[in-house]
Amino acid sequence: MTTSTLVAAKDLTRRGFGFRENFGRWDVKYSPYIFISPFFILFALVGVFPLLYTGWVSLHAWDLLGGEGEWTGFDNFAFVLQQRQFWVALRNTLSIFLISAVPQLIAATAIAAALDTNLRNRTFWRMSVLLPFVVMPVAVTLIFGSMFGERYGLVNRTLAEIGLGPIRWHTDPLASHIAIATMVNFRWTGYNALILLAGMQAIPRDLYEAATIDGATWLRRFFRITIPQLRPTIIFVIITATIGGLQIFDEPRLYDQNGLGGEDQQWMTMTIYLYKLGWTQLNFGRAAAVAWLLFLVIVAIGLINLVVTRRIATGDSPR
Amino acid sequence: MSAFAAFRQRRVRALIEQRPGPLVYAFLTAVLIASVFPFYWSFLIGSGDAGTLSDTSMPWTPGANFIANAGSVIDNESVNFWKALGNSVIVSSVIATSVVFFATLAGFAFAKGRFTGQKGLLVFVIGTMCVPTQLSVVPLFIAMSTFGWTGTLGAVIVPGLVTAFGVFWMTQYIAQALPDELVEAARIDGASMFRTFWHIAVPAARPAAAMLGLFTFIMSWTNFFWPFIALNQNNPTLPVALATLQANYFVDYSVVLAGALLATVPLLVLFVFAGRQLVEGIMRGAVKG
Amino acid sequence: MKRLRGAGRILGATVVAVLALAACASNNNPSSQDTGPITLTLATFNKFGYSDEMLAQYHKLHPNVTVVQNIAATSQAAQDNMFTKLAAGSGLGDVEAVEVDWLPKLKQYGNLFVDLSTSDTKSRWLDWKTQAATVNGKLIGAGTDIGPEAICYRSDAFAKAGLPSDPTGVAQLLNGDWNNYYAVGQRFAGANTGVAWFDSAGATFQGLANQHQNFFESNDGTVIATTNPDVKNAFVSVLNASAMSSAHLQEWSTDWNAGLANGAWATMLCPSWMLGVISGNGPKIKDWKIANVFPNGGGNWGGSYLTVPKQGKHTAAAKELALWLTAPEQQIAAFVTTGNYPSQVAAYANPALTGAKNPYFDNAPVGQIFADRAKAVKVTPYKGVKYAAIMQAVQDGLTRVESKKQSIDASWAQVVSDIKALG
Repeated sequence: MTTSTLVAAKDLTRRGFGFRENFGRWDVKYSPYIFISPFFILFALVGVFPLLYTGWVSLHAWDLLGGEGEWTGFDNFAFVLQQRQFWVALRNTLSIFLISAVPQLIAATAIAAALDTNLRNRTFWRMSVLLPFVVMPVAVTLIFGSMFGERYGLVNRTLAEIGLGPIRWHTDPLASHIAIATMVNFRWTGYNALILLAGMQAIPRDLYEAATIDGATWLRRFFRITIPQLRPTIIFVIITATIGGLQIFDEPRLYDQNGLGGEDQQWMTMTIYLYKLGWTQLNFGRAAAVAWLLFLVIVAIGLINLVVTRRIATGDSPR
Repeated sequence: MSAFAAFRQRRVRALIEQRPGPLVYAFLTAVLIASVFPFYWSFLIGSGDAGTLSDTSMPWTPGANFIANAGSVIDNESVNFWKALGNSVIVSSVIATSVVFFATLAGFAFAKGRFTGQKGLLVFVIGTMCVPTQLSVVPLFIAMSTFGWTGTLGAVIVPGLVTAFGVFWMTQYIAQALPDELVEAARIDGASMFRTFWHIAVPAARPAAAMLGLFTFIMSWTNFFWPFIALNQNNPTLPVALATLQANYFVDYSVVLAGALLATVPLLVLFVFAGRQLVEGIMRGAVKG
Repeated sequence: MKRLRGAGRILGATVVAVLALAACASNNNPSSQDTGPITLTLATFNKFGYSDEMLAQYHKLHPNVTVVQNIAATSQAAQDNMFTKLAAGSGLGDVEAVEVDWLPKLKQYGNLFVDLSTSDTKSRWLDWKTQAATVNGKLIGAGTDIGPEAICYRSDAFAKAGLPSDPTGVAQLLNGDWNNYYAVGQRFAGANTGVAWFDSAGATFQGLANQHQNFFESNDGTVIATTNPDVKNAFVSVLNASAMSSAHLQEWSTDWNAGLANGAWATMLCPSWMLGVISGNGPKIKDWKIANVFPNGGGNWGGSYLTVPKQGKHTAAAKELALWLTAPEQQIAAFVTTGNYPSQVAAYANPALTGAKNPYFDNAPVGQIFADRAKAVKVTPYKGVKYAAIMQAVQDGLTRVESKKQSIDASWAQVVSDIKALG
């Protein structure tokens, strides 16, 4: 690739372009702005403006059909914060996030470690772990949802065969969170394993050599060298998982026919709550307030991540 | 280095690089089975009939109805399968192309340009990677309704035209893969910035661009929340159409799962052809990220 | 001035009429303004009984019109979709079905719908059916069916429990109030047939709710659900009965569907439209029958309307379709297919209806049974803007107790707070 660009550069040189100094100076100075402007303009329109406008909507009585109503200040926020359902939604969101992120990270690290060995058919194995990534979450939910029926589902039938009582996958909050987390993990574990694998391969091999000379076992090398060296990558994985995980919608939405998170809101996430307020109760003001609150939660967790990343980056980064 | 030291190092290296034991293969095979099982399950139920799922003595070999069930997904007028497929192709292609183009353009400027505010703007881009765009559904919905765009593909395409992640990704890659001297040389030879971009940066960035395109394509293909709100049964994308299968009265899971499998086929095909590239791309991105 | 304006209006009307006549004369198609081939979408939910043959027949009558039907699973899904697309200003079907429970919520936005009244719709429906869909003199919904309720039961399960199993015997057995229905349920449960008495507290609660004039809301729209003793009594009594008698399967859930397919319960409240649900889900179970009886007299559960949203492109053609589908002949045909009992007065005297039998239910004379059940309905419940949302909160509360998550008291307390949160 580098050779091909060199050839391209030589090509340019040989052809020789008209050189106008004024234009050149202007070009160098201002072209970058032109290059970045499409991104910033579009991003302002579809990223920044909606975020601010969400704030505007949240400060009004706003009906889905009736449109903008009167200014209500922070009433919508006050209302939402006093709702049991809001706190349940926050609990569920964090719970599903933790239940998916932690086992996923452990499994992904284990898979990455297995892939980091000198395998035969390396590409095959790497591709095999990524396979679930191409299944859309809607399909994942339909497929797994059909296994998690409380009375007639595959999982409970299998449990019964080995003599275990049925688990109430829809009724019990924790069980429903586990079922939803399973769907998330199915799709993302392999993906994260590949990222961690890349991190592992970036670790200088002489570190291992030195340890092997000292007689360290594989397990010892893994915990003493691999894991500490991998910390920045792990944090990268956690950050991306956080942003996605806290907005989870598809899986809980399709987990039952009603799509509103269960009779006790046991698997109603923040985004489902937002949807319910806005599109079922037709109250856009409150929905916008929830959007902003969720944004603050994500920013708060993002900042925590950033602080941790900083500390580690100044510590023992492999780069 | 003495001969003995060299010998020892070779031995150590051999120790590290030896083929893994059967345990590792067994573990990976278990992972493989877990990855593949849901596909098999879908096929198993999808080839049965309405009663298969709740049948307590369900057979573990597929039935004969898969074609019929897949057919009833395709024939279901409220699913609108072909239209959904076409829409998904259009939406994902347009978004992937647009994201790659604008990201490469901006990435080149950030990586190789020198302009006031460069650093601050780049930090802004990185900062906005954390902005959850899903939360903008309320104003987006208001805006799209006002323009009368709801129900049209534009409503889904426009919000996806650029991503901060894309810009960050291309900036990282171009900074590392395109030597400064090359850009300098082109400039001294009188090439304009755009020419330099087009003839030098774009070829150099091609591997990263392909990866970004592939990744964006998959993400937009699988996206559900916003299309679900903005589109409707008459003009859906695949995930939206698939969701209506379960929302159908009297849920026949043999049809639902046949549909789930059917909707996965396009990306499976893509995976067969571009999976290796995707694997490499994800891994490359990780090191830089 | 006023008179002048009046004169102007008459003049205007005349001009329009003349133009319209001219237009008709020129294209020979007086009934429709759309002459090119058009496709109309008809959005319904559950089972409306609009078969492909019926839609094909419409195509035969109007060769330029093709009708495509979208069917949503639940009334809830249809409701969410309706409001989202209504707000979006596009995306609704040309003809949209609406259920009576959330029609009030829609009536607030009556200006977004086409007036469906014509000279021959005046006395087409039962009075209360028409009244419920009229906003400021404008008819926004064309009535499809009503839901007079009987009791459906599984005769084999009854026989096994030592109860009478023929429709007449069961009708006598269940003739009485709700306590009688629950008491027979206790007897049935005592026989340990391995089958529950009814499917869920939620479905049974619907039967009680629809027997009250003002259950959740008073006539001025004030929410009284949390203070009305009838609501709490119904809530508690259904749950007390459910402890012994219910299959505890939330209505319309996956497990509920599977339960119906596997014959997990022996009786269910049977509004006429439920017949199609039972026969569609339970091809394996062959012993369902209908008893011409309902606890505490009569009751109406559900029933729907067809509306024509103004956002559609072919509103005139859509109105024509909606009125055709809700004409007595079509609704009788729908009744024969799925059991949806017509809301059209003229249908009741039609022998095609009165003589109708349903083969799945052991050839029950469904025409006669539901005519009787409709006559037994004495109360037209008032349903206000928040009816559907309150019902959802109560149903959630019932499910919480049935799934043994909460005590009756705790669940009721949560219902109260959820209803207050709707404010």
